[in-house]
Formats: sequence, C-alpha cells, structure tokens
Amino acid sequence: MVTLAGPEGVIRVSSCDQAGPLLNILGYRLREGCGKDAALETADPESAFLTIDSGFPLAELEQTLQGGHPFACHFAPTPVPLLFSPDDWTHAGTKGSQNKGNDVLDSLLDDPALARLYWAMARMDTETSASLRQFAGIPRLLPFAPVLDFYGSHISIRNGRMVVPGGAAAESAWKALAEADPESPKEFVARLLAKDDGWLAAYFDTLSRLTPAQQVYFTEAHRLPRFYEALRGKDIGDGPARPVFRPDPDLLLLVTRLELDSSGQPMVPGNLEVWEQILRQKSDSKVVRQWAKRANHWKNPDQLVEALFAFSRQSTEDGPLQIYLMLSAIDGARPPERRLSPQTVRLLAQKFARFGNQYLTFSEFEALNDDSITRFLEVAEVIDRISNVTLRANALGIFQANVGLWQVLARQGQIPAAKVNTSWQAVIGPFAAGSPSSAQLFDSAQASVGELWRAAAGRPNLSQDEVVALLAGPSQSNPDGQRVRQELADRIRSVMDGQRLVSLDTLLALGDGLNELAQGKDVGNTLISLAGQLKEFEMPRPMFTSSERSEWAAGFYNTRHSSLQTRTDLAKIIKSPRSKKELVEARGLVVPFLRDTLVGLNYAYYEPPGAQILLNNPLFVRSHDFSGEMAMGGGQSWHVPHVFGSGLPAGGGAHLAGSLADLPFVLAEAEQDFIVPENVQALIWHELVPGLVSSATLPRWWGVTRNELHAVTLYQRTGEELLTAAAQDEKLRQTVLDILSERMAPQRSEQVGKALRAGAVQEALSRALPGETFYLAAEFRQRFPGQDGHWGKAGEELDALSKEYPAEVSWKRLSDDFGVPHPALAQSYSRELLKVKPFPAFMGYSSRLLAESWDSNNLYWARLADELGYSPAMLNRLVPELTYHMVEKIFATDFEDWPAMLRAMRETGDEFRSGKITTVPKVAVTTSVQ
Amino acid sequence: MAKRFLFFLLFVVVVLCGSINRAPAQETETETKIRVEVDMVQLNVAVMDRKGNYVTGLRPSDFVVTEDGIAQKVATFGEGNEATRRVTSNGPDREHPGDRMRLQHGSADSDTSSELGSELGSMMAGANVFILFDTSNYMYRGFVFAQDAIAEFVRSLDGPDRVAFYSYSRDLSRGATLTADRSQVLHGVRTTVAGDDAALYNALLMTVRDAGQNTGRKVIVVFSNGPDNASMVPPEDVAELAQSKGIPIYMISTREAKLEPVSSTVFKRMSAATGGEAYFAKTWKQQQKAFASIRNDLAHLYSLSYYPQANPNRGWRSITVKLVGDRAKGCRVRTRNGYRPQSTRVSAETVTPASGVDSAQGPPSSN
Repeated sequence: MVTLAGPEGVIRVSSCDQAGPLLNILGYRLREGCGKDAALETADPESAFLTIDSGFPLAELEQTLQGGHPFACHFAPTPVPLLFSPDDWTHAGTKGSQNKGNDVLDSLLDDPALARLYWAMARMDTETSASLRQFAGIPRLLPFAPVLDFYGSHISIRNGRMVVPGGAAAESAWKALAEADPESPKEFVARLLAKDDGWLAAYFDTLSRLTPAQQVYFTEAHRLPRFYEALRGKDIGDGPARPVFRPDPDLLLLVTRLELDSSGQPMVPGNLEVWEQILRQKSDSKVVRQWAKRANHWKNPDQLVEALFAFSRQSTEDGPLQIYLMLSAIDGARPPERRLSPQTVRLLAQKFARFGNQYLTFSEFEALNDDSITRFLEVAEVIDRISNVTLRANALGIFQANVGLWQVLARQGQIPAAKVNTSWQAVIGPFAAGSPSSAQLFDSAQASVGELWRAAAGRPNLSQDEVVALLAGPSQSNPDGQRVRQELADRIRSVMDGQRLVSLDTLLALGDGLNELAQGKDVGNTLISLAGQLKEFEMPRPMFTSSERSEWAAGFYNTRHSSLQTRTDLAKIIKSPRSKKELVEARGLVVPFLRDTLVGLNYAYYEPPGAQILLNNPLFVRSHDFSGEMAMGGGQSWHVPHVFGSGLPAGGGAHLAGSLADLPFVLAEAEQDFIVPENVQALIWHELVPGLVSSATLPRWWGVTRNELHAVTLYQRTGEELLTAAAQDEKLRQTVLDILSERMAPQRSEQVGKALRAGAVQEALSRALPGETFYLAAEFRQRFPGQDGHWGKAGEELDALSKEYPAEVSWKRLSDDFGVPHPALAQSYSRELLKVKPFPAFMGYSSRLLAESWDSNNLYWARLADELGYSPAMLNRLVPELTYHMVEKIFATDFEDWPAMLRAMRETGDEFRSGKITTVPKVAVTTSVQ
Repeated sequence: MAKRFLFFLLFVVVVLCGSINRAPAQETETETKIRVEVDMVQLNVAVMDRKGNYVTGLRPSDFVVTEDGIAQKVATFGEGNEATRRVTSNGPDREHPGDRMRLQHGSADSDTSSELGSELGSMMAGANVFILFDTSNYMYRGFVFAQDAIAEFVRSLDGPDRVAFYSYSRDLSRGATLTADRSQVLHGVRTTVAGDDAALYNALLMTVRDAGQNTGRKVIVVFSNGPDNASMVPPEDVAELAQSKGIPIYMISTREAKLEPVSSTVFKRMSAATGGEAYFAKTWKQQQKAFASIRNDLAHLYSLSYYPQANPNRGWRSITVKLVGDRAKGCRVRTRNGYRPQSTRVSAETVTPASGVDSAQGPPSSN
C-alpha cells in the first residue's frame, strides 16, 4: 500500500481497470466486472477483515469502480510525538537485543512491560520524565513499570528537587522515611519505587493527590512514618502494583475524606471508646483483631487513623474503615451541637454489615437526629423478622419505596426542614408493629403514605396525579417552570404506564372499599369495577415453554410475584364473600400491586435519559427481588441492588435484586447500553456512564435563582480571565498555577504553565476544565480578597453580584446546588463540589470514582443555559439531555481518559449552541439578572 | 396495530387577499396545528399456495380480518410495492390509482386532506427496510462475507424502498438512518467493525422503536449469529413492540440452529409472531438465498389496514386473517397474530433524545 501510495502518500484509482493491484492487497475482487453494477466481494477473508477493521474506505472505492469519481485515499504515515529518542525504546525491552532493529511501535507491541513503562512515563511532566531517563535510563526503570504506571503520575521533579507532599516542611520526614534526600531526586525516586514492593510509592502518590492544606496533617514528622508503617504492616504481601488494577481505593478515600476539627485533630464519630468497641466486634480479619488489642490504649484520634491506614489494605465492604468513612460522612455533615451520640455510632456500626447501604439517607439528611436513625434501624429489624418470605419481600418493597419517596420530597424541600424528623418517624412508624398479615401490611402502607403526603402536601389523601405532580417538583409560578414541571410529571406517568402499574387511587380505594364492605356498606358494584383494573395486567406473551425456561434460564426466570398478580381475582371475593373476615383480609391481595406502584414511582422519578427498559419491559419493576434470594450470595435485601439476569434471552429480562439504595446509579447502569455511541464501538465504561447520568438525574434545580445561575457563569469566566492575565504576569501566573495544581496532575499543570508562558492563552484555556476555572476564581477571590485588578468584566460583575447577593453567590450555595452526588466517593447523595483531582480507576470501582470526581458537567451546562438565556428551571430538562448527548460522544481510550469526557462535553455544548440538539426547546426565556 | 396515533400536522393556512392575489407569505402565514387521531391497524400479509408460491392479484374482498373474533372492515389495501389505496364499498378504486389513501378523521379541510392523503399515500409505496447486523464477537468468523451478503441485499432492493442500516454488539450503532440513497447505506455496511458482547434484543428493541416512528410499511431484517449475552430486555418485549407497531421481523441466523437452541427458538417464534420469517443460513449461498427470499416477500406482501371495531379489550388482541372464495383453497396466510394496544403516552412520547431517525421523515405512522 505504501508503494501504491507513492511519494505523495495518496492511493489513487481513477477507473475500474486500474484497481486490480489494490484490490488484491485489500483481499477483495470484483464480482461481475466493471461497470455501473460493479461490486466487491471477499477474495481473501483475512486481508479483507484487516481492510475493514482498519477503516479503509471500501464503499468509496466501490463507487469509483462503478464509474464514479476517481478514488483517492491518503496513505501517508502520520507523525506522532515520541517520548525521548527511538533508541531509548528499541534498545530497552525485556527481550533485550530482540528489540534491536525494530521500530518503536514494534518494540512496544512486542513487549508489554516496555509498553507499560512508556504509558507511565508519557503521563509525567517533561522535566520529571527526562530526569528519570537521565538518572536511570529506560532499561533500569523497566522493572518498575507497574509501579510507575499506577503511582508515577504525581512524581514530580522541579528544578532538580523532588516535590514531596507537604512541601518543604515535610522534606525531612520524607527523607527519613525513604532513606533518601528529596534534594537528590535520583536516589529518592529509586528508593520510592523500590521500597516495600511499591507500597511507599502508593503512599506517596496518595498523599500527593491531596490539597496542600490536607497534606499538612498527614506529613507531620511524627505522623508520616507511623501511618506508613501501619499501611505497610508486618507483612508487605503483594505490592500494590502487582494486580491488574489498583487495589481498593480505601486508602485514597480515607485521606481525601478525613475531616479535621478546629484544633486540627481528626474527627471521631462518637468517641475513641466506641471505636475500641467497634474494633472488638467479631472480625475475620487478623489485622483488625490485632489492632483491636491495641485500641484500649488509645489516647488520641491519630491512633485511630493509624489503624485505619492498616485497614485500608483489607478488601472488604463492611470493615472498620468502611464504617468509619460512612459514619464520618454522617457526622461530618452535622453541626457540632448535633453530632451523633456514641450510642448511635455504636448501633450504626453494629448494624453496618446489613443496613450500611441505607445509611446514605442519614448522610444526605443531616437533620435526621439520633432518634430518627435508631427508629429506622428498629423498624428495619422488625421487617427482617417477618418469617413469610412473600410478605417480607412486600414489606421491604413498600417500606423502602416510602422511604425513597420521603427522600425525594425532603430533597426537593417539599417536606419542610422543621418537619424532617417528625415526618420521617411518621412515615416509618406504621411498620414498627410488624406485619403479621398482608392485610395489616396494607394498613401500614396506607398509613405510611398518608403521613408522607401529609408532610409534603398538608393532607393525607392525594390522588396519583397529585402525587406525580408533587414528585415532579414544587409548584412553579412562571410559565417556564410550569412547563418543565409538567414535562417531568409526564415522564413519570410514562414510566408508570410502561410498567402497566395499577393506579394508587384504585389500590387505596379498594382497600377502603373492602373495609366498608366488611362493615356492611353497599359499595360492591364500585369495588368490582375497581377490582377489574387489577385484572388488566397481562404477562407478556410467552416465547418459551416452562420446560424451555427451566433448561435455558434455570434459577433466573422467576415471575412468581407477577404471576400471583395475574391470578388475583378480587372481584370474585367481592361478589361472594364467605365471611366478613375474608373481606377484611382481602386487602392483603392488593398489597403486591401497592408495592409495585410505590416502587414504580421511585423508578420513574430516577428514569435515566433514553431509558428503554422502564418503558418496554412491564416486568422490570414487578421483578425487583427484594428478598435478594435470587441474586448470588443472597441476603441482599438492604444492600445496593445488583442488575441481575442480563444476557439471558429465556430469563425474562434483567431486573434488580436488593434494596432501593443507590437506585439512581443502578437504574442508569441498567439502561446505559441503550445509549447509542456516535463512534463505532466507542469505549464507554460501565461505571463511568451511570455515574455521569445519575449526577444529572438526581439533582433538581427548582431552588436555583437566576443570580446563582449567572454566578456559575461568572466564576468560570473569571477563572478564564485570571488565566488570560497570567499569561502576561509572571507573579500571577505562579499563583494561578499553584491553585490549579491542587486540581491538576503535575503534567497538565506543567502544560498549562508552558502555554501561559508562551502566551498561548487559548491552549491553556482548552486544557482547563470548567470545574477548574470555577475553582480557580473561587479560591483566588477567597485567598486574595481585594486583588481584583487581574480580571476583567466577568470578575467585576461577579464582585458586584457577590456584594449584592452574597448568599446566592457563595461557594456553599453553589456547591449545594451545582455539585454532584458522591455516594461512592463521599458516602453521600448530597450535592457538593469537592476539591479533588480526577480520581484514577480502581479495582472494584473501575471509573466510578472518576465520574464522581468529575464536577464540570453541571457547571458547564449551567453556564450554557445562562448564556443562552434559559431559565434555571430549564436545567431540570437540559442537564439530563445534555449529559445524554455527551455520553453518546465519549470516545475514550482507557479507564482514566477524562480528556475524552472533556471533548465530549465541549462538543455537546457546541452543538447545543448551534441548535443541532433539537430535542431541547429553542425558545429560551430571556430574563435579565435581577 | 391499533396504536393510538397522533398526527401533528403542521401546515400553513394561506390567507388570501381579495379573490385573486395571494399576500406575501411572510406577512400572512399563520401556523395552525391540526391534531388528527387515527386508530388504525396495519397488516402485512403474505399469501402462498401449496407449493410455496406467492399468490398475487387478490382483492380486498378475498380477505376476512377479525380481531378478537370481531369482523373488521378493510380500510386500505395494497399489493407489493404499489401504493396503498382506500377501500370503498366497491373495493379499491382501481380506475384511479392516483387516488391514494385519505385520512378519514380530523378537521382538515378537504383540499388539505387530499394533499395530505396523497403525500401519505406516496410514502406508503415501497417499504422502509431496517437492517440490523450482528457485529459482536460471535461474528468474527465470516464477518466480511456477511458484509458482502448484506451489501448485495441492499443493492438488490429496487423500487421505492428506503433502507436504514444498523449494527450492534453491546451497543447499537446507526450506520445509516433511513434513506433512499443506497450509497449511504453501503457506506454504513462497509464501515462496521467486529467485536464486543452481543445485545441483540436491546438493539432490536431500539430498531423497532426507530422503525415505528416512520410512515408506511416497514420491515426489519436481522442478520445475526444468534447468541445474546448482554441484553437487558427479553425477546418477548421486542416481539410485542413489533407486533404493536405492525413491523414484521425477518431473521437470518448464520449459525446452525442446533448449536444455539435458545436463539433459534427465538428467531422462529419472533418472526412468526410478527409476520416475518426466520432463515438458518450457515453458508454464504444460503445467506444470499435468504436475502433473496426476503426481497421476494417484500415484493409480494399485501398491505391491509382497518380501523378496529369497538372492542373493550385493553390487553392482548388476537388477529386472524383468512381468505375466502375459490382462490383460498390450499393457501397459507402469514401475518402477525395480534397486538397489544399501547397507551398514548408510551407510544406517542418517548422519543429518545437522539433517536437517530431523520426528522424529515414525516409524522409517525399509524399501524
């Protein structure tokens, strides 16, 4: 092909009869000769496969063969930047001399270790990578390729010195720990990479990702070695770079989320005595048992943190570290006067293994007091004690659904803050007595929803339409808000229709009517009509026989819940009841329907954009396995649900097994493969997309003011103005880079710095995320108040807006409204703008933490909305849709490819600006900032 | 299907100034939305004799259509690629082939209705063919031959048919949205690449949804090795949606049936339920033969529609189509066996943010 392309690098075919040599190479031949019907067919399948797989424009060639335009295909080599010289790579592989004579690509393809080293060094800043090459050379670095790959991106050498976490003040501590002086990077890096099979490098990398303020605590001379020794333990075991992925992220989560009190001490939920007891809880871990013995001598919180470092190497979901992270999230959100009591901390820790996933509610709603938390756990245990499996599953579903609806209404502010505890206890209270029968469960459910509606709407009886309207959002006074709210309500109703769920009105009326009938009232005819609605649901037309299902989907196809519903004949009982008792108990027959409707409202509320299962698989909600018994391992009733049964044609479709915790993420996970990527086989990683989507579907924007929306724009623009000014001002440049380096890895920080020094402002701006420019402006304004000479109109406008509306423009308010939820990273569904760098991929999490550390989307969409004149209420529609379009465009190449996310986000923004995204109304409401 | 169908017909009412002159459009045009609800069930019916030959030249009166046992009156009728015609009490107006189906309901004035009916009628001529190609890991072997076979099929579709080309592995890819331009479709075919899990029923569901947004006859042709290891929805949901939308699904499996009994079972039953056909074509020649059979089928399908008589059933409605008269003897009729009416909300909304369907294709169809 190179020969055919010739010196100009273009393969040309002007007519059909010239195509022979090219076709021969491509593995194709003409089927029936030249002419207008000329067509290609495969001659050599292997060559043809390569032709297709490489993206060769075969269809265009075919057109030329049919007499179309001459064919021209550029086939010139594409220069790519190479790290160092070709010799560095062709002479360095583990295969030694075998690589010699190969070109660089061959060398990398032939030697995975060499490729991994190249990949690692390509993510370092240039001074650091050049220094490493000079110190050791590629061959000597090769054994450390895995360590450099996982933990090398924050190794930074500046002006011949190692940059260490904690800065100059911590250099001596690092010197002692690494047994090498940071002033001598060659020795320091060598020790860092080699010591303890990579554990020191992991420790260094983890602390490097913190802000300077956070680093101060961990790098104090007395703490740095202690914490490291705890992490390292007596048995270093396998190094952290040996697995395919980085080990569990608990170490990074611990240091990222550890909160210090006003005296600089780590916060301890409860007190140290409680944690001693928590460690003494039964544990399979030898490490935990060992630390438990030492705990009774603890005098200060550092000792607890030290133990937590040790636990960070335990691969578990419910160990002391996981408990600490969760309880810290709950406690940290509370004001000092309302911290969790030691008793509550102990209780939460004791129940963590079973109910821990439910605690996300407590971290999100800090107003829930100890009593409310305790009551929840008591009720949950009462439900757990229901012995009848079917009854228990229905109780679990209804209880969790009602709690889920309470969360929605409390989050949207429809349950007033003052009523948070009373409403919570009123909603969960009816289940406290247990449910010996389905009829009593019906009564509990009815009482519970009545309390829920009362708390949110002031009365206990709401129609389903009113409930849907309530869930869609608070009442709106302006036409834009009213329209959007109506659209959201319609979407909820679409899902309820798609799932063919019986109306809440019908179900509750049936319950009331059966009671009245039992009391001798003449309501039979009305009830028969209502009961008929229960019969309207039909199972999908079966495509498999029972025996086929048993053979092809054994253990997966279970429609017992749905099938029971189709066999329910309430009308028969109403027409000819055998006793008054039978009528009273007939309410129990309504319970499975009631469960599905209430659960369906939860599903519908969190419907991801582009959802298909919710609209087309009427068994999806009904099949939710609350017993958790179908899922492997069982006992999932209170855990985050798993998507179960995908890829089994005879299995009746996928469904969720577990609780309703983390529902926004799990629904997005189930629906994500219905998003159609724009690029063929684009890599959209399974944990990334649900994270992005749930960050767009969970937040609602009803409380956002125009001033807030505009402030989001102004912060980003002010950050851009600061970057622009920094190109001309060296002192400012250093300040700007110092701030940005708290959000950027050294390589990107260096790239931005170089661009600014070269006056390439646009390049520098293109490398900064919206979240970073926002952060830059906010931090600069906070650290250097009064230094307003560096920004332009946006900064001035922001100053003015801030003076007039300080609350609306504050970081706290904008963080609450435009941040994203962090259920995995910060154990809370509260929205927050976290001051973190993009997280890397971890085993068990893949890119989920990356998605949660990505807070640029909502800020960027808000800016677009503001600049195009949309009202804040429109964010309720724009954010999910724009996120959906962004996901379609993500064309990533690796787990941590956040630049691909940035590209996709900006492309979406460009298309939105140019009106190419037509599903969003073009007519914007233009309102000036008040 | 008896889907409740909302046509949002946007047209311009031109206000005449005086009796002769039209005022400048930009000054006088006002937009008026006319909403026409049409409950119509459309059937694609293949009729074959004992030898498997297509029976042609049948008239509306040769068909008896019942829904849940209730006799239905055929409203429109067409054969093969000819335009669908309104059926009067005397049968289709064969003397005036240009007089195409007219909308029977709504408040459009007669002239406008005539124009709209004519436009809709022209869209009914030919079929909208959606091709769904398996590019999953299961297709590595023979992938390029499969491409050749599909390319050949696309080239051989003559007449007014419009074609869309989709492919799937774990995700769907819309290689070419519905178009009459075969070169666009061929470009889509030749740019597919193989790899990843197989989510056939996810992709087929999306394809049915896209197809259902178009007017006129539409069919889906699936070319797949068969196995599915990643779908979230079961084939039952896909079949019901296709039945509700009146879309026959033709399925060509490139694998021997006995190797994958689950998929071969689905292929047979789904195609039968929707009025399509299943083919098990392991070799290149068998695949070409299958495509030729589908092409032949498309050219010989009768297109019938009816407005359902009053029927209180909101669940599954069974459809039977029988032939009457002398020509009925020994003939086999193939069409979908029923449908489930969809709620207006589910059927009319839920256009995904990026359906990939060309917005210029006109309003959604009634079936």
